[in-house]
Amino acid sequence: MEKIGRQVRLPLATAMQISLQGIRIRLGRALVTLSGVVLGIAFLMSVITGEFINAAVKQEREVRNQTTLMSTFVTSEVGAVAGKTLSVAVFGALSAPEQALLAGLAAEHATLRAYGYSGTGVTAVPAGRLGEGSALLLVLGDNPAPGIALGGLMAGMVQPVALDARLRTYPDTPPGRLEHFGIQSAEMLAKAREAERQQGFRTRWIVIISLLVTVIGIANALLMSVTERFKEIGTMKCLGALSGFIRRLFLIESAVIGFVGSFVGLLVGLAFPLLAYGVTFGFPAVFSALDGKRLALSALLCLTAGTALSILAAIYPANFAARMVPASALRSNV
Amino acid sequence: MTDRAVIIRARDVTRRYKLGEEIVWALQGVSLDIFEGEYLSIMGPSGSGKSTFFNMIGALDIPTAGSIEFMGEDLFRLPEDKQAWIRCNQIGYIFQTYNLVMVMTALENVALPMILKGDTRRDANAKAGAILERVGLGHRVDHLPSQLSGGQMQRVAIARALANSPSVILADEPTGNLDSKTGEEIIALLKSLQTDDRVTVITATHDVKMLSVSDRIAWIRDGRLERLEARANVQIDMGSMTH
Ligand SMILES: Nc1ncnc2c1ncn2[C@@H]1O[C@H](COP(=O)(O)OP(=O)(O)OP(=O)(O)O)[C@@H](O)[C@H]1O
Ligand SMILES: [Mg+2]
Repeated sequence: MEKIGRQVRLPLATAMQISLQGIRIRLGRALVTLSGVVLGIAFLMSVITGEFINAAVKQEREVRNQTTLMSTFVTSEVGAVAGKTLSVAVFGALSAPEQALLAGLAAEHATLRAYGYSGTGVTAVPAGRLGEGSALLLVLGDNPAPGIALGGLMAGMVQPVALDARLRTYPDTPPGRLEHFGIQSAEMLAKAREAERQQGFRTRWIVIISLLVTVIGIANALLMSVTERFKEIGTMKCLGALSGFIRRLFLIESAVIGFVGSFVGLLVGLAFPLLAYGVTFGFPAVFSALDGKRLALSALLCLTAGTALSILAAIYPANFAARMVPASALRSNV
Repeated sequence: MTDRAVIIRARDVTRRYKLGEEIVWALQGVSLDIFEGEYLSIMGPSGSGKSTFFNMIGALDIPTAGSIEFMGEDLFRLPEDKQAWIRCNQIGYIFQTYNLVMVMTALENVALPMILKGDTRRDANAKAGAILERVGLGHRVDHLPSQLSGGQMQRVAIARALANSPSVILADEPTGNLDSKTGEEIIALLKSLQTDDRVTVITATHDVKMLSVSDRIAWIRDGRLERLEARANVQIDMGSMTH
């Protein structure tokens, strides 16, 4: 009589082959599990990408905010600017929001009379005649211009109102109202920073919870597929499969689903914020703002996280399947 | 006949199932020696413990008490890899419900035990093809079980049981789901394994057609071995059974 031998431990490639065949034939079920991974990882990736783009377009966004703030001031003084005569005094260099404000006013067909500034649709006038017929005076530029008298600039205005974009001091008492506009106070800045911090905190929580849901979803889907396959597991054991082999089949299946799902998920999670920000800020701006190296790193993170979490979720179902006594696995009639 | 080597020796095999509070004694101490190369039928009414005993001698379930010796070794003291080796190399299982892997073709089902044994996919497929040819399914190798008839599925299951040239074929009601004629064909096939390949064939069955081909019949009732009948003198005309 032959001597009793020991069952060989099959190479990973064999387990891989059988596992992949199972996925291919039960594609529908695999896709359901996969979609869970796709959603979880797409969410993670979109949050990361969104954060990156957000940081990159932060400056652009601040310029926009500042410009909006200033133009709100202007419209609250004079109403719609179309057809209105506005005078502009520029000392030194204009900031980006100031430039955007002037471009915006010109685009809305305000008649601009300017000192120290020229552009399309702008009439250059000497400082002494700046105020003639104008409804509002804007004082812009980074030069403190200490010697300039407001009285001279505002002479002849229809409504003597001046808006200064910087905290300039003038040697004389203004002949009308003087207000500073577009300046954010330290308090406002602190508030904005706090809001940003809380937003980051919230985002992190949502990411953690969504990943948890993904893991539980995968574990659940795999447990179901283990239950469905009790009979098959029992049959495999009858034919000489070791517990370790059964365990490996499920771990491989989950790893493959996790990897493919994460890959699709990260593409989706990349595309969405790119599209959303691209529409708002323009695609060239968004693409040039992206840091390829950091993006690749986070893609790698998503891929690793997705695969690792899928394997983690498979441990319990795989062990459950591996530990089954063949007879009881075969008895099931699912 | 009694001088033949014992391949499976069951001693006081007991199996108790707990169903909540209730305890079911499926086997209450069955002792039986099974000889190498014999055709043994286990008969008994439904619920008498045939399948339970079948699972024990096939290393598919663990007895509550008692022992099974397989090839001289205490089956349930063996490490997992030796038990798996026995299941893979020494025993071929056939079930009433076929238990084919539904997502694999006939060929892949038959090749599976060889793959699990460590054969290459190529060798396994070639051998599997030849075995399917032998059981009369050469033209159905690429069909899925769902595309086969009951008799054809049972033939695939027999081919799979033969995959690694086992020394024992264990068949639990192999004809239970088949019509009378197909059942006869399957019985003839099993008998030919014993006569031509010197395989030990053990069947658990209700089917009286099985009686005439059996060397011995073990009658089980209420989890006990009631009597053991030898049928060594029965002559069977195989030609008339297969038409
Ligand atoms: N997994 C189980 N859990 C609980 N009870 C079981 C289990 N398996 C079998 N039994 C019980 O053990 C007894 C013997 O069952 P077994 O399946 O061995 O009978 P059998 O002789 O094969 O019957 P049949 O001819 O109907 O197949 C029955 O009373 C059955 O209810
Ligand atoms: Mg039974």
